[in-house]
Amino acid sequence: MSPEHIFSLTISGITVGMIYALIALGYTMVYGVLQLINFAHGEVFTVGGYIAASTLIWAGVDGTTPLAVKIGYFGLALLVSLVLTAALGWLIERLAYRPLRQQSRIIALLAAIGTSIFLQNMLVIVFGPQPIIMPTAIVPTGFVEVFGARIRVLQVIIIVVSLVLMALLTWIVKGTRMGKAMRATSQDREAAEMMGIETNLTISFTFVMGSSLAAIGGFLVAMYYGSLQFNTGFLYGLKAFTAAVLGGIGNIPGAVVGSLILGLAENWGVGLTLELLAWLFVLGVLVGLYFQLVRAPRRRVAHIAEEFRTPEYESRVRNVYLFAPVLAVKTLFSERTDALVYVSAQHAVRLMLGNAILAAVAIAFFMAGDIQFSSKWQHVISFVVLMAILMFRPSGILGENIVEKV
Amino acid sequence: MAEMTARVSGFFGRMPRWVYVVIALALAIAFPLLEQFGLMQTLWLRLGTRVLVYVLLAVGLNLVLGETGLLHLGYVAFFAVGAYTTAILSSPRFGIQWNFWVIVALAMGLSMLFGFLIAVPTLRLRGDYLAIVTLAFGEITRMTLNNWETLTNGPGGIPGIYPPNIFGWTVDSPLEFFYVLLVAVVIVIYLLGNVKDSRIGRAWNALREDEIAAHHSGVRPMRAKMLAVVMSSGIAGLAGAIFAYYQQFINPTYFLFMQSTIVVCMVVLGGMGSIPGAVLGAVVLDATPEVIRQAFTTWLPGAFGRDFLPGVQSALQTDFDRYRMAIFGLVIVLMVIFRPEGLLPNKLWKREVHEEDPRELEKTHQHLFDFEEGKQDLEV
Repeated sequence: MSPEHIFSLTISGITVGMIYALIALGYTMVYGVLQLINFAHGEVFTVGGYIAASTLIWAGVDGTTPLAVKIGYFGLALLVSLVLTAALGWLIERLAYRPLRQQSRIIALLAAIGTSIFLQNMLVIVFGPQPIIMPTAIVPTGFVEVFGARIRVLQVIIIVVSLVLMALLTWIVKGTRMGKAMRATSQDREAAEMMGIETNLTISFTFVMGSSLAAIGGFLVAMYYGSLQFNTGFLYGLKAFTAAVLGGIGNIPGAVVGSLILGLAENWGVGLTLELLAWLFVLGVLVGLYFQLVRAPRRRVAHIAEEFRTPEYESRVRNVYLFAPVLAVKTLFSERTDALVYVSAQHAVRLMLGNAILAAVAIAFFMAGDIQFSSKWQHVISFVVLMAILMFRPSGILGENIVEKV
Repeated sequence: MAEMTARVSGFFGRMPRWVYVVIALALAIAFPLLEQFGLMQTLWLRLGTRVLVYVLLAVGLNLVLGETGLLHLGYVAFFAVGAYTTAILSSPRFGIQWNFWVIVALAMGLSMLFGFLIAVPTLRLRGDYLAIVTLAFGEITRMTLNNWETLTNGPGGIPGIYPPNIFGWTVDSPLEFFYVLLVAVVIVIYLLGNVKDSRIGRAWNALREDEIAAHHSGVRPMRAKMLAVVMSSGIAGLAGAIFAYYQQFINPTYFLFMQSTIVVCMVVLGGMGSIPGAVLGAVVLDATPEVIRQAFTTWLPGAFGRDFLPGVQSALQTDFDRYRMAIFGLVIVLMVIFRPEGLLPNKLWKREVHEEDPRELEKTHQHLFDFEEGKQDLEV
């Protein structure tokens, strides 16, 4: 892997990450105000791309169209896609989610999933199962040379547009009256209503904004890959949601950071071999052993009350961790034992089991030899990332309950 | 009119439950005989067998989604685990044929193991994260089946699964499979009915309604939820094993995310937390589209001439699956908005979703204090 190669992988990682961010912002804002995973958001994204692409196809853009007209059509496609997709987002909220505000979350979630299935299949019924092809004439094809790596102009455009949109969003959320209303609604809907904030309007506005961002994302993806399929949104939606959770859901900077990390990980992950992954697991075992042998006993010992703190007792608690599983299991099965020691023994056994599983996976990977991860495993990687985050740090990197929550 | 409907529903309400069970069982037992006497095409028998597989799945998912209130979107993954266990251990792929009972036990056991492994870390999470994790798990399973070609033969699938041998009886016709599945369904429903009315069933319902309150009343949330997930995974594994035997050929396209949502839709339509509801949901949602398709492509053209609504016919032939799924999506949304308790509701869940409705509240109060006629219905 030459430095140029790594550099261009990084740029494409950032590009994909920015697109994830445009979608993830919609998820995170809606989750902020309604505490609802808007499953239909991925489909909204696809609809945005489809509308933009079909507008351009309808306009009949080709290589002979003069540049000014091309830009005009481009603006038209963007406008049509924005308006229609925003309307779709508004409609979804109005028809499917608003009647269920008072119901439990599982009910609202079911409605979201139903909406998603409905939209995806309507898309096929209307546009057909084959992917929609973006007119190539509208896509900038130039390259720029940076540090010896060739970078598409389109990538630069995507990154710049996304940054501008994010700045705009930040300004709306932090600097306008509506943004204030959004923040208030997300903190406490009922209290916001009592303060005279039109929460229904605010929620609708959130949906409109999220959908517009997703529409732009869909347009950019359609340009970047040249085509869009009806189920693209499902995968993109899932990944963007992963990114939102990774950064901390309900948190705008978090969504961007998480998306960038996910995009980069996916692009760098292409060069991943099973052996490298096995070494990562070995690292995991080392961290786990550190936890089991050093950190956990230290924290348990700190729990001992002053009047019981004797060196013998401390070493008894510590030994459960150090000599697990033998001593821990023995403690668990003994007739009478101290509560703290008992809890420590349980904890130690759990940690031990976790380490054993990690080690087993590492060994299995080493035994499986040098399988190269082809791109077909790429999605599996990002799903595994999602599950790992949700298991080990569900609040995300930047935390989900910060004051600036949206 | 109102009195009339009240009397009719009163009549149906007064019938003891076993009457319905007997009627349903009799219908189910008689159904394949129609084919045997030549009154029905084999197509419908195959449909009936598929419906029974879906009944097993819906009843199993009902345990998690309906009883415990956990949104599980990767249910088909456990079905896939069961099916692939069978396919690998009883097919020419590796040239082995294990005993039916061993395979069923292994399929259930493996599914339960996977369910356990998924449940341990994720059940601590908030409910809606569970939905995403299970969805991701379902997709990972499908992609792994697709990509791990040395074991599963990838997208090509595993053909030629040997028919099972149950105590010397080789099951290899749709009719026999129908009865095997029927026996499995009856056993599972009987057991689940008992579990539902037991202490653990009440613990599940308590968790669904208010986890914190349930925890404080002595329910262990992690344990109870884990049990629900593991049990339902086992049922899916069983369904998968029988399905693989019946189908004789499986590949990853049988285990799409769509299948999970279909099962979710069945449970929601029938009524969350109600076993008869889940059965009804499976029957209605799996049979109706097929009936409609047959009606528009065979029966109506047969009755009114070949060119009866050609547009509808061609649309049904090409995009049938899409229309069906779009309608399923719509059904989920409409059901949760207008009738969240489902077609055959469970009393408790019905009251829960109509908490705000003063009429339901009044009914609840009436039930609580209805001591007339010696009725002491304190089941709220």
